[in-house]
Amino acid sequence: MTAVIEAEGLGKRYRKQWALSDCTLSVPAGHVVGLVGLNGAGKTTLLNLVTGMVAPTTGTIAVLGGRPAAGPGQLARVGYLAQDAPVYPGLSVAEHLKLGARLNPGWDDALARRRTDQLDLDPGRKAGKLSGGQRAQLGLTVALAKRPELLILDEPAASLDPLARREFLQDLMAAVAEEQVNIVLSSHLINDLERVCDYLIVLADSRVRIAGPVDELLAAHHLLSGPRRDEGRLPAGMQVISASHTDRQSTLLVRVSGPVLDPAWTVTAVGLEDLVLAYMKQAAGRGRRGNRHLEALT
Amino acid sequence: MIWLTWRQFRGQAVTAVAALALFAILLAVTHPELASLYATSGFAGCQGGSCGQPAGAFLSQLSNLTPFGGPQAFRLLPAGANLYVIVYTVGILFILIAPAITGVFWGAPLIARELETGTGRLAWNQSVTRARWLTIKLALTGAAAIAVTEGFSLLQAWWAAPISRAVDEGGSVSVFSGSRFSPLNFATGGIAPLGYAAFGFALGVTAGLLIRRVVPAMALTLAIFAGVQVVMPLWIRPHLLPTDQTTAAIAASRATLSDLGGATVLTASAVPGQPGAWIISSGAVNAAGQPVSTLPAACTPTAQSPSPGPGSGTAFQSDVQRCLAGHGIREAVSYQPASHYWPLQLTETGIFLALALGLAGFCFWWLDRRLA
Repeated sequence: MTAVIEAEGLGKRYRKQWALSDCTLSVPAGHVVGLVGLNGAGKTTLLNLVTGMVAPTTGTIAVLGGRPAAGPGQLARVGYLAQDAPVYPGLSVAEHLKLGARLNPGWDDALARRRTDQLDLDPGRKAGKLSGGQRAQLGLTVALAKRPELLILDEPAASLDPLARREFLQDLMAAVAEEQVNIVLSSHLINDLERVCDYLIVLADSRVRIAGPVDELLAAHHLLSGPRRDEGRLPAGMQVISASHTDRQSTLLVRVSGPVLDPAWTVTAVGLEDLVLAYMKQAAGRGRRGNRHLEALT
Repeated sequence: MIWLTWRQFRGQAVTAVAALALFAILLAVTHPELASLYATSGFAGCQGGSCGQPAGAFLSQLSNLTPFGGPQAFRLLPAGANLYVIVYTVGILFILIAPAITGVFWGAPLIARELETGTGRLAWNQSVTRARWLTIKLALTGAAAIAVTEGFSLLQAWWAAPISRAVDEGGSVSVFSGSRFSPLNFATGGIAPLGYAAFGFALGVTAGLLIRRVVPAMALTLAIFAGVQVVMPLWIRPHLLPTDQTTAAIAASRATLSDLGGATVLTASAVPGQPGAWIISSGAVNAAGQPVSTLPAACTPTAQSPSPGPGSGTAFQSDVQRCLAGHGIREAVSYQPASHYWPLQLTETGIFLALALGLAGFCFWWLDRRLA
């Protein structure tokens, strides 16, 4: 089966600043993929590359086996709900559905109408007068009703209050279950992703830190605590992601392929949030230039 | 895509149609009196080369007229202006600024607004490529921009036909004085408005694409377009085709002295045997054909009278002409003959259409390859 996203040495530079560099990924089909990272880590840049909104500076990318935005056929296979759910303020809800119907050969009008009915979106209402949550719902409806094989959502819940966010994500998951679509979803909130994703990509400081199915990631990471020990004296194949030491004790978050056998360690499981934070902290700890606040263009 | 383009454009389209309709009504209301004036002026029936006098009479009648119920109705107008003068001037101004308006208000936001508000990410992720999106946007909105300017131009040409004919025949009164080569008339007559409209629109689209924000893109579009409208008639248009040269007697070239920044120059205002020619440059030459930089002191204003103001007028100028002719001075003129009007129109329109196409091509490339 073709990978949903296949990237090789992918990089994007804006002027002198690399928004994404050296990204090699192979995301298999059939997942809800969470893309997590701080603001400015390169999430939007990666998603813009996946949708073909920008062209890569280096490397290659294939989405569902094709070049992003290469033609109408490829565009029809990928749905994109961009950050802040852009809609035309002067067009009504019904006109947005008409826009979708006119511009997409595979448009599912019944699906679109069912969703606007369920969500209580007044068809005659101008999109500019919708609330943030309703706008996101309208954007999602347009993206879903074009019946893409891959649906990409960039911070879909960012502008929503906690209650609306939870509802939106639940609704998204219900839609996914019905439509059998691959999803890539970005967020800087791990809690959002933890609830819905079964595959995770952690971006920090414009690089992919780790990517893989959530259960495999959790199985490969352990929290070790025991008598103080130098990190250099750990067995080969054990990679330290984060470490904290007191005078007598060391606590390490490590990645290993097999079980931890050393009886000196107390081994505990790692939560997804701790794991992600450890990778982010690791990237920050390397003291890279402070481009964290440089949100990608567009 | 056509539906979306129309849906986004229809408000502007209604405004444009309303403006055209208002202008058409203004012209239609004033046209009957203008036509009857023309028909009874004695100029309408004039054929052949010697219509200058009736043409002038017609124009002066037109500019002295106070139509529609006497002067009270026009108290708001500046002194000496009447409805025909104003409609004629306003018409020319409309044609002149219509390409700027469509470039600024239709062209600049075309892509810039999609980028600024982020809606481009909605539009360009439907199953329509950006190239096709841009093709339809450019074609429909651009065609409308050209149609609006050309609409103004055609209406004005129809209404002002008697005036244009009178000016061509040599009449020259008040604002009805510029020949069809004059900067304003050339850019607003013939086919030139097509080129200006296409260029202004493409310029706006390109500025919007590069600047990515609507208001700065509008400002830049206006600045560049206004610059081009000044540069073209002053420095480029005169040299689009090779000029013809001739040397004529001072009286025949109706040369007049004028004081230009301290230097006294002799400027021709007619080319003998070339009615309606556009004089690009002229200057005094001696009997040997060499340019004369300093006119004989005996003939210059200081010798003749202290200041050659307007009051000293015709008598003074003909004295100077006689004096200079006595010194063997003739006038060298370089000019575009009247027959160059359409070739010049074609060349200028061609240049602007080519620029517009070039800018459009650049937009395609940029939107497809470089857009961030």
